[in-house]
Amino acid sequence: MKARRGYSAVIALGALVAIAMFFSAAPAAAQAGAPATPPEMVATYSALADAILAVKRTEADLVRSILAAAYAHGEVQLARAQRSIGAGDAAAARAAVEALAADVAQLATEGDAAVAQVRKRLLEGGHHHNSAGEAQGLYDEGFVVVTKAAKQKLLESSRAIGQMAGAAKADALGAEWQKVKAIYAGLMKPAK
Amino acid sequence: MRARWQGAGAAGAVMGLLAVAALHHTTAHPGAAGPAFRFIDVAPDAGLTRVLLAGRPAKDHLLDSAGAGAAWLDFDRDGRLDLFLPNGWLLDGARIVERGRYALYRGLPDGTFRDVTDEAGVQGDGRWGSGAFVADYDGDGWPDIFVTTFGRNLLYRNLGNGRFEEVAARVGLESPGWNTGASFFDADGDGDLDLYVASYIDCTLESVLEAKPSLSWRGLEQVAFGPFGMKGAPDHFFRFEGGRYVDATSEAGLDDRALGFGFAVRTADIDDDGDLDIYVANDSDANYLYRNEGRGTFKEVGTWSGCALDGNGAAQAGMGVAMGDATGDGVWDIFVTNFSEDFSTLYRGLGRGAFEDASRELGVGQPTYRPLSWGTAFADLDNDGDLDIVIANGHIYPQVDRHPDVVGTYAQRNLLLENLGPGKAPMFRDATAEAGPGFEQVRSSRGVAAGDYDNDGDLDLLVTHTDQPPSLLRNDTAGGSWLTVVCEGPRGEINPIGTRVTVRVGDRTQWRDIASGDSYMSTHDPRPHFGLGAATKVDEVDVRWPDGTHSVRRDVEARQFLRIRKGS
Repeated sequence: MKARRGYSAVIALGALVAIAMFFSAAPAAAQAGAPATPPEMVATYSALADAILAVKRTEADLVRSILAAAYAHGEVQLARAQRSIGAGDAAAARAAVEALAADVAQLATEGDAAVAQVRKRLLEGGHHHNSAGEAQGLYDEGFVVVTKAAKQKLLESSRAIGQMAGAAKADALGAEWQKVKAIYAGLMKPAK
Repeated sequence: MRARWQGAGAAGAVMGLLAVAALHHTTAHPGAAGPAFRFIDVAPDAGLTRVLLAGRPAKDHLLDSAGAGAAWLDFDRDGRLDLFLPNGWLLDGARIVERGRYALYRGLPDGTFRDVTDEAGVQGDGRWGSGAFVADYDGDGWPDIFVTTFGRNLLYRNLGNGRFEEVAARVGLESPGWNTGASFFDADGDGDLDLYVASYIDCTLESVLEAKPSLSWRGLEQVAFGPFGMKGAPDHFFRFEGGRYVDATSEAGLDDRALGFGFAVRTADIDDDGDLDIYVANDSDANYLYRNEGRGTFKEVGTWSGCALDGNGAAQAGMGVAMGDATGDGVWDIFVTNFSEDFSTLYRGLGRGAFEDASRELGVGQPTYRPLSWGTAFADLDNDGDLDIVIANGHIYPQVDRHPDVVGTYAQRNLLLENLGPGKAPMFRDATAEAGPGFEQVRSSRGVAAGDYDNDGDLDLLVTHTDQPPSLLRNDTAGGSWLTVVCEGPRGEINPIGTRVTVRVGDRTQWRDIASGDSYMSTHDPRPHFGLGAATKVDEVDVRWPDGTHSVRRDVEARQFLRIRKGS
C-alpha cells in the first residue's frame, strides 16, 4: 500500500507540472485557435511510453527467469529421483519426486505463492500484462508467459508426477518430464 | 485403503452384499414413491430467536456480508447438544447502532432450547463475531469455545459449572485482525491442541465504517468493494505450550506467503499417515493443503496434490469446506463451496493425499453453478449409508435484487444434494425440491452446522442467515437405521479431536473423524454419526484415538448412542 501511495505521489506531481505547462502555453494557444498538445508534454509522454514498454518487457524477462529457475531445479530433482530410484533409496526418491512435482506446479503458476501475491498486487493496481490475451481467454489474469492451455497441461503433469511419489519408476517419470519439457520449450520460444 | 473392502470369506461376502443392498434400498430415490427427505424449520418454536446482525442493509463493506457461523457442543455434558452463535454488529452508515450479543442455548429434553448466554457469561464483549469452534483446549474435560472475530478473538474457558471465563488474552489467542475459520488439532503429536486461524482481509474498523459501495457490478450497480483490490491478511498457527498459545507460524512452515483471503479451515489426516494436515479454502486464491511432515512442521502441497485449483487450473472463491469419504472408496474427498456463476468443487480423493476435480462427473457442478455458496456439510441425512451434501446459499450484494434475471437474488434457496451411492452416474442429484419446507426457505444463508439436537438418530441442520435468526431444520426424513458413537477420553472428556471412528457392516466400511472447525466458520456435532440403511447390527466399531491406540466393539446393536471410553 505504501508503494502505491508513492506511485500516486509521482503521478500527482506530474499532473501538477502538466497543468502548469498547459496554462503557461494557454495564451499562445488561444491566439492561434485550437490548442495543440504542448510538444514538451508529448515528448515526456513518449519517453514515459518507452519506459512503460521497457518495464513490460522486463516483466516478461523476469517471469521467463522464474520459469527457467523452476525448470532447472526440476531437472536437478529429476536426476536426483532417478539416481535414488536406481539405488533403491525410496525415501530420497520420494522427496525428489515431490520436489519435481512442486517445480512443475510452479511452472504452471509462474512461480510460487509469494509470486502469486505479487501478481495479485499488480492486478489490484490494474496491471494486466496480457490484457488482450486474457480477453480472448488465452491467459489467466495476470499471467505473463504461461497460457491457460499450457497451465492446465503442466498442472496435469505435476499431479501425475506427485502421484508417482510413493512408488516412482524412472521411465514413467522420464516420460512425464518429456511432456513438461515440450511445453516449456514452447513457452520459452522468443516472441515473434 | 481399498483393502478395507475385501471380504473375510464367501459367507462374509454374501452377508456384505446383502448389507450393501439393504443400505441402498432403504430410502426413496428419484422416481420412487415419495420424497426421501423432509426438513422443517423449528427454530422459532425451539426458542432460537437471536437475530444475527450483519452490518448495513446495503452491505457497504464485505464485512457486512460475511455473516457468522455456529457451533454445536455439549457444554454441560448432559448428553444433549447445546448451541453457540456468535453475532455481528448493526450499522447505520458509519454509526454503530448495536453490537450483537452472542447466544448460548442450552438443549432441553423436550427438544427446545433455553437462552443461558448471560448466566454462562458468553455475551461476546461487544466484539464482531465470525466463527465458533469448540475444543477442550486445556484438557479439563469440559468443551471450551473459541470465537474468531473482526478484532480480538475470544476464548471462553468452560468452568464446568455452567459458566465460562474469557481467557484469550491470557493464553495468547487475541490475534487482532479479520479472523475467520479456525481449527484445533494436535499438530505435533504431543497430546495437546494447537490451533490454525485463517484471516481474510487486512483492514481497519475505520475503513469498514467509512466504506461505501464503490465497485461497479456489471455496470448496473455500485456494490461493496473487494476482496480483489484489498490486501489479504496472513493466517496464523499457534502451538500450545505450557498452558499458552505461542505464534509458531513461521517455525511450522505455515507462512501465508500468498496472503490468501482465507475463510474455511479443516484439519484431518488427509494422507492417512497418522498425523493431521490442514486444508484452507481461500476466496479468489488457490486453496492450501499443508501436509504435516511430522513433529509439527508442514509443507504446502495443494497445487500438485490437485486440491488447490479447479479442473481448469483456476483459483476459485472458496468459502466453506466439507471433508469425508463422500464417494465411498475409503479415501478423503474435499468439497469446497464457491461464488455464484462458478461451481462448488468436489475434489475426489485418489489416495495418499492426491485429488482430482470430479465436480461435473459426480453431479455437483450444475446445481451449484448459479448460487453463491457458503456453509456446507457431508452428512448422511437419510441414514442410507452414504454422505449427502448440504449447502447454504446467499449472495453478498443486496443490489442484485434489482436484476434478479442476472444471477438470482440476495436471498437464495439452500441446496441438498443426495448421494445415490457408489456406481451411480452421476453420484449426486439435486434433491432440494423434495426436501420439505425447510429447504423452501429463501434467505441469505451463511453457516451450516449439522447435529442431532433431538437425539433421535438423524442429523438436523442449523443454518445461520444474515440479519435474521437462524433456522433449525429438524430432520423428519423417514430414513434408515443408524449408530452414533460418543467417544470419551480416559477422564471422561468427550470427543477427542483427531479421533477416527470406523464402522463395518458386512463388507461395507464407513468412517468419520472428530474435528473442531468445519463448514463455514462452524463446528458440527462432534459425535460421529453413521447411517446404516436396513442393518440392525454393526459387525465392528473401531475407534482410533489420537495417540494411535484403538478401542473395538463387535456385534453392536444399531439405533443407539454408543459410548466408548479410551482404554476400555
